Order: sequence, then structure tokens, then C-alpha cells
Amino acid sequence: MDKYNTQIADPRQPVEHRGPAVEMTDLCKDFGSFRAVDHLSLTVQQGEIFGLLGPNGSGKTTTINMISGLSVPTSGMVRVMGYDVRREARQVRRILGSIPQETALYEELTAWDNMDFHADLFGVARKEKKERIVRLLELVQLLDRKASRVSTFSGGMKRRLAIARALLHDPALIYLDEPTLGVDVQARRAIWDYCLSLRDQGKTVLITTNYLEEAQALCERLAIIDHGRLITVNTPDHLKQAYGGTILELETSQPFAEVERIKELPGVKEVQQEERRLKVTTAGVDHIVPQIVNIVSQNAELRDLAVREPTLDEIFLQLTGTALRD
Amino acid sequence: MFNLRAIWACMKKDIKTSLTERTFTIIGILVPINILFLMILFVIGGGYAPTAVVMNDHGPYARQFYQAMSGAHSFRLQQTSAREAEGLLLSGRIVAVVTVPADFDARIQQKQPVQVNVQVNNLNTDFTNDIRRAIPLSITSFYAKAFPNLVTIMPREWDAYAQDTDYVPYLSVSILVVGIMLGGVLQSGLGTAREWESATIKELLLSPASRWSIIVGKMLGALTIGLVSLIIVLAALILLIGAWPAHWGEVIGFGLLTLIIFVAWGTLLGTLFKNRTPVLALAFGTSIPLFILSGAFGPLSFTTPAVQLIAQLFPVAYAIALQQHAFHNFNLNTYGVGGNALVLVGYALGLIILAAVALRRSTLAH
Repeated sequence: MDKYNTQIADPRQPVEHRGPAVEMTDLCKDFGSFRAVDHLSLTVQQGEIFGLLGPNGSGKTTTINMISGLSVPTSGMVRVMGYDVRREARQVRRILGSIPQETALYEELTAWDNMDFHADLFGVARKEKKERIVRLLELVQLLDRKASRVSTFSGGMKRRLAIARALLHDPALIYLDEPTLGVDVQARRAIWDYCLSLRDQGKTVLITTNYLEEAQALCERLAIIDHGRLITVNTPDHLKQAYGGTILELETSQPFAEVERIKELPGVKEVQQEERRLKVTTAGVDHIVPQIVNIVSQNAELRDLAVREPTLDEIFLQLTGTALRD
Repeated sequence: MFNLRAIWACMKKDIKTSLTERTFTIIGILVPINILFLMILFVIGGGYAPTAVVMNDHGPYARQFYQAMSGAHSFRLQQTSAREAEGLLLSGRIVAVVTVPADFDARIQQKQPVQVNVQVNNLNTDFTNDIRRAIPLSITSFYAKAFPNLVTIMPREWDAYAQDTDYVPYLSVSILVVGIMLGGVLQSGLGTAREWESATIKELLLSPASRWSIIVGKMLGALTIGLVSLIIVLAALILLIGAWPAHWGEVIGFGLLTLIIFVAWGTLLGTLFKNRTPVLALAFGTSIPLFILSGAFGPLSFTTPAVQLIAQLFPVAYAIALQQHAFHNFNLNTYGVGGNALVLVGYALGLIILAAVALRRSTLAH
């Protein structure tokens, strides 16, 4: 049996899942004169792990709140599995598993009580309730702490419990708002594993994060959002190719004088010089690396050379002009 | 619209939460009891002016005059010497010194005027006025007893009710209502506001359970804890104050109805403010003025039309009227038991609907 399998036959009426997992059309949200989400249109397909990437205040959480019906859009439309979030809110909530940033756990209650409450609230069949709770607490390795109050848990444990709770009613779409915010490296790894296992079960996972490493490790597609606007949407690899290509980092014995020659080469997008260090961003065209190395070697002694893919941080900077975590 | 399982879950969760957080239990249960004792101590402690009587004559008339003062329900008397009395007055331990002259009996027998000196401390004008009013009353009462054929006082009491009710049992019924109000608002208001403060409201709002079920479940949780508080306050009222209900069913029924109103009011406040501090401030800030305004000390018809008008806007006045009927058979207004109960039912339904609408329209700030 799959270690992370959380699926248990649901005796309730099966929910008809139509269309994409999430479909946003021209979505706007204003808070007074401030526009938090600005004409956002996005489609998340069923069964994928989709990431919303953006700095703090970029509109990620507001977008998520509109998807879950916690916030009413000023204009535009959101559909979840074909259901209109505003008109068919209850159906949407039934197929949505949410792990908010704050975890929203009742700290003064035990882990078991939190799970039990969620099961009753979401109408998990009584005869299956206990079995499901045990199984999910086991999954997130908290079964031995089932009788402990949540207030005694670490940040990572709370996050794991929130994941277990969100999976209790077997949702088709799970959203995780900053899933690893404030958790240690070990817990982060475990949370990533849970997310990947959800995808393997055919569930759709929507993640908001401002950790690039996380987006890269988990997401099949990424939407980059800034100031409430969609900057781009694509796979991490495609984003790297489209906006980064290849990056060369060179170190010479003395400051390199002929930067302009490199800039003129076809396929070179950007050259940054910092004393004896050069950073050249290319479009990834063939034979460009030897050409650059040649020019540099002719004029200075090459001490160090590194060729790498751009990080999402660099892509984000290039796309928005700002760093991801500013 | 209603999902019984979700209602039960919300109720159970709120009771558990309240019981695991001691502050909650203390606030929800002990505050109404504290209010009860506080008010009663206020009433008992504020009633009598400490007064020294210098008895320079111990004849039968002088003693009768002393008895008349004792029966005036205004003095806490102690017999002292003139010197001791002066010391007590200067040190602020008494309000007044009444000096009965040495020739009191002789002058009364000779039907000559008697001068009784009263020295009054003006530290508190309320006490001073009490003394001013009580001395002539004592004199009248003395003459009525000493010379019944000379001075005749014929009080004709019309017994509107079967029993005489002392001031404290009368007042304590109103305090019970304010206790229920405070307990209900605090229990539900703080519980609801805390859901927003700790962001656990997301768990509720993201569930497929209807907002009606959530509201009803939460209110039932607060109602259960409030009921414990009501029973304790009621027990204190009966066992310690001696206020025995005339109609037990009405006490329980109207107590519960009042509790429902204030639990709904608290839920509404918690949903609107989303923060415990304003709920706490509003609960305490409104309970005492409403208590005084709504006929706590006597029927509303004894007050000014403006006060009557304001008081009738709030459910406390109707709840007090109903509890006074339940305990003492009193009819404090012209609506009758059914009319007052109907008004309270209207308030309860209105506030439950408002709380549900407020939660239904609740969205997150970001």
C-alpha cells in the first residue's frame, strides 16, 4: 500500500468534477482605492501541482481567498472544478481542502479533537471517521501525539496536522498557502513529500509560496504574480529557458576591459561586471559559451569559470525588476 | 439549511474550548456571580448612616425616642458620651451626633418644647440629607407611639400583592437579569471574536456547513456554559438572598429566553468586531447602565417618560419585568407576561438572524 495514500471510499454523493480544477477570468479585487488583484486570468488543470509565486503583498493570498470563497471578487469570475465559487459555494467548499498560512488549528484542543471537529463539520461518514483520522495522523507522524494539545506543538508539527486535517474529507483540490513558512528543513522536506504524493493520487494541488526552491521542487507550472497582475505562467524549466537561458560566471586575474565585445555577441542578453567577476546571461544559443571564453582568455587570465541555469530568483528579478523577497 | 451534525460539532467544540481555557470559564461563569454580590453589597452597605446618640436622659420618653430613631431605617445607631461622639465625628467615622437633652422626659411630661441637637457631617450630602429626612420622621413616629391619643398616624397599606418584598430580594431579581446578560454576551462574544483573532474562523467558513448551522452550534455552546452560570447565580439568589420563585417554570423559561437573546447579541458583536477587546468593553460598559435604566430599583412607570422610552428599546426591561413576575408575582408594566415574553422572543429571533447574516456576509480582510 502506498505510504501516502489518503483515499478512502466516500459514501457521500460523488461530486461531479467538470472542467479545469481552477479557472479565473479577469479577476479583480479592490480594497478601497487599492487594487490587490488586477485582471487576473489563470487556468489550473486537474491533477497538477500549480504554484502561485510572488513577493509578499503581491496578491497571492487574496487570489486564494477568492478561489475558496472567503473573499468576494470585485469583478471577474472564478470556477473550481466547474462550480461557480459565488453561486455554488457549498459544492466548492466540499471539494476544497485548505491549509491556510496560519494553520487555523484550535490550539487549546488536542490534535484528535481538531480532526474530529473537522470530520463532523465536513460530514465525513461516522463509520469511517475514526479510521481516517488514525490513518492521516499516522501519515503525518502525529498519531503518538493525538492526545496532546496543539499549543504544545512546534511550527512544523502544526503544519503537518493542518495537512492531515485538510485531507480528512478527501478533497479533489488542495491549496496550501505558504506551506513551509516557518518550518525547519526536515519538516519542509516531509511536507514536500506529502504534496508530491497528493499529486500522485490524482489530486490538484495549488501552492502559494515565495520560496523559489519550493516552487522548483514541487510545481509543474508556475504563475508569477506581482502587484496583483499575472507576469507569466509556465513550467519552471520553460521559464528558465525563456527568460534565462544559460548563465556564465567568470573570474579573471584582473578586471576585464572589453565587456562591450561580449555584449555585441548574438545571443548575449546581459553582462554584469563586478571588479574581476563577470556574469553573462545568454539566450542559451549553441556555441556561445566557447566564444565568450575565447574573448575573455585573449585579454585576461581566466581563473574560474562556471556555467549554470538561472535561478527563479534571477528570472523573477528580470521579469519584475524586484527581488522576490524584498 | 440546518445540519444537525455540524451544529452538534460546533457546540461541542465551543464547550470544550471554553472549558480548556480557564479565563473563559472564570469570565463566563464567575463574573455574573461577582456582579450579583457586588450589587447586593452596594445596596446593603449604602443603606444606613452611622450615627452617635448622646443620651443625657435615660427616662422612658428618651428611650422611646431612641427606639423611634432605630425604626427609621436610616440610622446605624450607637450610644456614646458627648466626648466620644465628638471624636468619632471629627475622625469621620460617623455622619451625625444626636444629643438627647437631660431634661427630655421632664419637658415632654410638662408639654414644653424640647430641643434635640443634631450635628451633621457634610462629607457626603446623600448621608446628610438622609439624616435631615429621618430625624423629623423619628419625631413623628415617637409622638405617635408616646401619645397615641394625641398624634394619630394611620397608614393604610393596599395589599396589591400577597407578600411584602424586601428591597434586596426585589433588586436581586434585576441583578439576575444583568448577570444573565453579562454572562451570555461575554461567553458568546469572546468565543466568536477569538475565532477571528486566531484565524480559526477559516476552518468554519471554508466548511460546507451552512452559516446557520455554525451560528446555531456556536450559540448552543455558549448557551450551555451560560446555563451553568444561570444555575449558579439562581442558587445564590435562592439560598443566600432568600428570593424564592413564585413560578419556577417562568424563572427557567424566561431565564433561558433572556440568555438566548444575549448569547445572540454576543455572537453578533464578536462577528462584527472580530476582536475580544471591544466585546469585553461593550459588555461591561452597557450592563450597568442598562441595569439602572431598565427598572432595576422599581417599575419603569415610576421613572421619567424619557427614561421609560429609552429603557423600552432594550430587552433588559422586559426581562426584568418577567423575572419579577416569576419571583414575586409582580406586574411591572401593562404588557402582561405573554406580551413581555413575545417581545423577548422577537428580540431573540431578530438577533439570531442578524448574527447569521453578519457571519454570512463575513469575508476576510485580505
